[in-house]
Amino acid sequence: MSDSSHRLRWTLAAVVGLALAAPLLMANPYAARLAQLLFLNVVLASAWNLVGGFAGQISFGNASLFGVGAYATSMLWLAGMPPLLTLPAAALAAAAYGVLWGWPCLRLRGPYFAIATIGVAEATRVVANNIEAAGGASGLTLPLEQDQGPIVLYVLGAVLALAAVLTSDFVRRSKLGLGLVALREDARAAAASGVDVAMEQVKAFALAAALTGLGGSYYALFTLYVVPEKVFGFDLSISLVLMVLVGGLGTVAGPVLGAAIYLVLEQFVLARFADIHLAAFGALLIVIVLLEPRGLAPRLGQAFAAVRGRLRPAPGRSAR
Amino acid sequence: MVDLLSVLVSGVLVGTVYAYMAYGLGLIYGVLRVVNLAHGAFLTLGVYVTWWLHNALGMDPLVSLLVTVPLGFLLGAGVERSLVFRLRDSPPVTTLLLLFGVWLIVRNLLYLIFGGADRSLLTSYSLESVSLGAVTLSIPRLVVSGFSLLGFVVLAFVLKRTWAGLSLRAVAQDREAAALSGIPVDRVWATAFGIGSALAMSAGTLMSLFYTVTPEFGARFLLKSFCVVVLGGLTNIGGILIAGIGLGVAEDLTAFYVHTGYRDVVSFLVLVAALVMRRVESEG
Repeated sequence: MSDSSHRLRWTLAAVVGLALAAPLLMANPYAARLAQLLFLNVVLASAWNLVGGFAGQISFGNASLFGVGAYATSMLWLAGMPPLLTLPAAALAAAAYGVLWGWPCLRLRGPYFAIATIGVAEATRVVANNIEAAGGASGLTLPLEQDQGPIVLYVLGAVLALAAVLTSDFVRRSKLGLGLVALREDARAAAASGVDVAMEQVKAFALAAALTGLGGSYYALFTLYVVPEKVFGFDLSISLVLMVLVGGLGTVAGPVLGAAIYLVLEQFVLARFADIHLAAFGALLIVIVLLEPRGLAPRLGQAFAAVRGRLRPAPGRSAR
Repeated sequence: MVDLLSVLVSGVLVGTVYAYMAYGLGLIYGVLRVVNLAHGAFLTLGVYVTWWLHNALGMDPLVSLLVTVPLGFLLGAGVERSLVFRLRDSPPVTTLLLLFGVWLIVRNLLYLIFGGADRSLLTSYSLESVSLGAVTLSIPRLVVSGFSLLGFVVLAFVLKRTWAGLSLRAVAQDREAAALSGIPVDRVWATAFGIGSALAMSAGTLMSLFYTVTPEFGARFLLKSFCVVVLGGLTNIGGILIAGIGLGVAEDLTAFYVHTGYRDVVSFLVLVAALVMRRVESEG
């Protein structure tokens, strides 16, 4: 079985699964919202992982890209553009903003990059709060009567999530992905072996920014309300770091797994203990970093392979 | 003209506090090569402890330094021993995430204990001021600025003239060589983290005199501390003092001539610009 037919099978299985799950996930507004949030998390976590996981450049500032996407869609929509047509514009705007600050900041490595991203994101948030043309601190409310309805939002979310995962898989196998991993492991050696360290990171970051902007756009489409403290908020940036860390840095499945676990945690556990949710996330972060820094996906992959091996005694392929 | 002079003076006074607040961050980085994302937690904790001591026991904020300095040292050394130490051989980013977790927990505890409302502290001298020619100086700012400078003098003395300070500087320069010459590196690390945290908590005490506080207090000042440390050079006392004052003045000028809302943007942008231009240790 070749690699590409393997991938095709997974993609088909995902499409069929998503189609079969659709009626269940549109049974009531709450289920529909959960599905939308899951798709959103998958898009954002996979995008974050392109640079944070493959290249090892931890960004605490992806909310700045998300916010640009969300605001691009909201403002174009309010200016009279059909909502769905604003998606490409949101992707472009976020990618442009990503390149604008990623290009200088990605020259920094490790903690310096991380700190710089906090600075950029916070500056963006403060500025967004002060731009009156974009609603200032009270944000923008979108016309409820033009809501896309659950079916369109489900299909759109599923397409975006699938596209993000496929992009992530494609990057991992591409020359770009190899370059990123090489520079994560040893930037100097990568540069010496002919990897254009600065350029490769900017490319990956532009891609991640476009996906994150699409996520922001999708968020605006289903919540119909954008406000700087939320879409440019630090909490959003942190949640992405957590998702990928829990799932598994630098893997394709990790962000998907992490996105789902995060959603479950947020919705079912933390909704009941709202007043300790920060501490719970903090404790989770500490536990993961100390005990399972590679995340849960590799562990789960091993378990999966072991079960397969037992079912089929012949030496099987590693489960990917 | 008088306006400009007032703005400059107030910027300088705030700037010395910024420098004092940031120094702990630089010290911890210099010795442990760890970016202390929990720095903001210690700052905020310092403000709240001071506020509580004042409201419950009527303790003067400046007297409560006697509580926050040792408490900060113990908490910091405790965090280093129990958590940071375990990751001493991991990439720096993992420690960053770990300490971020600590910050989240502290923030949450503060919400549980004190709630999310603005807290501020009023002493008998909070609203006093003196006039020097045309410029009016607020007494709390003067006092706090004076204490910050005093803190710097004490710190410089400890680092330059005591054995503890010497071993701290030795570890900062070359960990292995220090270990080879018999310096207990483990203990020096805990000490450095303790001193850094004590500095942060006592900075919180000083800041309680003119800032209101919520559990979110630390985030803004963490970034400002980064800004000062990166601009001034990590453990360079003189550089940090100049950078702190520079930031204080730049912020006050922006708030006065541009827009109060953009005060914080200055520090964030200066931070990014300084990082990119200095590219501290980022080659390779």
